[in-house]
Amino acid sequence: MSYCVNCGVELDATAACCPLCHTPVYNPAQPVDRDSPPPFPTQRGEVPPASRRELAVLISAMLGSVAVCCGLLNLVLRTSHIWSLYVIGAAGMLWVFLAPPLLWRRLPLPLAAVLDAAAVGLYVLLIAWEVGGLDWYLQLALPIVALFALTLLALSLLLGNGRRSILSSIALVIGFTGAFLAGLELLSDLYLDGVWRPSWSLVVLIVAVALEIPLVVVRRVPGLREEVRRRFHM
Amino acid sequence: MEQNWYRLDNAAVLYSALKKEKYAPVYRFSAVMAEPVDPAALQRAVDRSLPRFPSFRVRIRKGAFWCYFEPNRKPGPFVRPDVSNPCQPIRDREENDWLIRFYYYECRISLEAFHAISDGSGALSFFRTVLAEYLRERGIDVPPDPLLLDAAQPPEPEELEDAYGRYAGKRTLRGSLQKTAYANTSPREPFYTLNVTMGLMSAAAVKTRAKEYGATLTEYLTAVLLLSLLEKQRAERPPREKPVALAIPVNLRSWFPSQTLRNFLLTLRLSIDPTLGEYALEDLIRFVHHFMGLSLNRPEMRASITKNVAFTQNRLLRAVPLFLKMPILSFSYWLVAVRPYTATFTNPGVFRTPASMEPHIRRMEVILGQATRPAPHCAAISYGDTLEVTFAGTGTSSETERRFFTRLVREGIPVKIISNREEAT
Repeated sequence: MSYCVNCGVELDATAACCPLCHTPVYNPAQPVDRDSPPPFPTQRGEVPPASRRELAVLISAMLGSVAVCCGLLNLVLRTSHIWSLYVIGAAGMLWVFLAPPLLWRRLPLPLAAVLDAAAVGLYVLLIAWEVGGLDWYLQLALPIVALFALTLLALSLLLGNGRRSILSSIALVIGFTGAFLAGLELLSDLYLDGVWRPSWSLVVLIVAVALEIPLVVVRRVPGLREEVRRRFHM
Repeated sequence: MEQNWYRLDNAAVLYSALKKEKYAPVYRFSAVMAEPVDPAALQRAVDRSLPRFPSFRVRIRKGAFWCYFEPNRKPGPFVRPDVSNPCQPIRDREENDWLIRFYYYECRISLEAFHAISDGSGALSFFRTVLAEYLRERGIDVPPDPLLLDAAQPPEPEELEDAYGRYAGKRTLRGSLQKTAYANTSPREPFYTLNVTMGLMSAAAVKTRAKEYGATLTEYLTAVLLLSLLEKQRAERPPREKPVALAIPVNLRSWFPSQTLRNFLLTLRLSIDPTLGEYALEDLIRFVHHFMGLSLNRPEMRASITKNVAFTQNRLLRAVPLFLKMPILSFSYWLVAVRPYTATFTNPGVFRTPASMEPHIRRMEVILGQATRPAPHCAAISYGDTLEVTFAGTGTSSETERRFFTRLVREGIPVKIISNREEAT
């Protein structure tokens, strides 16, 4: 065994220097044991995480530079349409999708849903304005975006920031997907034909109901629920 | 039926307010076994033991006004290979929201716990059961024993009680703000680094030395630490010396009977004013001995509990939304629990196990996690004849531990040092 000549404490056989005063170990009778495992692991557990704020700045810079470059390029490559508006709008929409959750760590899900839907609505409005199609925007695109936003909002409120069980969450997602697709067909039928003729959305709804029923049964029966949790490691 | 949620006790309220991206009050207990650890057996032992301890099987959630615990039904906690930087922060939505971690390295099994769920006494009860189950998984006969909580039995409701609430009286202890203490900080290590230095020594040798001074082991170690800090401050030649104050957590179960496995501790403030002159070790031991005797009385401790409980039940504070309350609590913690203290010294005492477990555990270790500032905390634990004292901190300096351990060597107590510092390996 080696002792620190400075502190007088006994040192571990694997220690190359005294942890207290950093005096190197020099013991010709017992060289430092470099083969045995040291008393503590040497692998670090985690690397410092990328700062979310820095990541948000990086994303903002990337999207901003794409938007500015395309805008400048459009001044040179002129066409009948202002094509760069699509890119600038898409960059803005992506920024709304990505940046707020990074800058605001606990962004409430309903607020995120509203922000995202507003971003999509504005982007489609930009396209509609650019191609002169405000009619289809107001009668079809805006209602679809609004329906999507409402579905997302209701779903996020019901899911309650992940407080529901996985089974309930899956059942809710399936149910709302079916309802949204039925609404989508209703809106498109009304815009195109003026009357609602449900067809493909009925198939989707029936499939959704067929999936919902066993999920609800499993959710309601404690024995089945525990069995599913155990088997799927939920 | 399992409770759906638990209210935080008043210590947990403060600890939860401190939990941030880069900091959380996390402590670690380790058992160094006689043989290398079998991870699969350890995982089975954890899985078998955890249902018996619902207060450890929780995740922390944020309500509108307070945080609360709810049962964590996600998979885990999974045992994993140990890392060089223990007591990492516990973050929201990571590690399946578990507030405890299990590690293994060679012969060492480690349990890390977020302080909001339990104090050292509760965590050691849980750890003792896990170790017993682990040894049983390894084929060792560990008969039921009053020291062990039977993992096969349902949990007792008393183990989940908020003992602070039960023992809070009507009169609170009046007190003014304490003086700012010597901070004992050094340049901060890069994020995630926790320098750990452990001193291993004979518990009997320390006890004998302490007895020669007419003190207990804890009083003796406390006095040596105080002396080390006083000497260190003096060597730094500050323009004006500040008081050296130690936070000494006291397990209240010895005075107020409770089976709770949640937090039930109180912190004593032991302060020395260095401007009064030089203190010899004998002076400090006498001071610590009498201070402990005077402070540890039921009425005063009860009044302190009442004061702490009254703080969290303050009507004005209760009405403040959580996002505003957190900074207030965090600042209060700094004001009353960081600023007036130089270091924390805790000694959970002797870790007792049934005789059948003794040949399979070589020693116990404790790490008191990182402090809110780069200064070392000190903790001690005994098992058999091995007393282990740990200094752990995020500062670069090892001067406090050097002064402490070399003082013990000069006192005639042989000390063996192990450390996770990179330069030592």
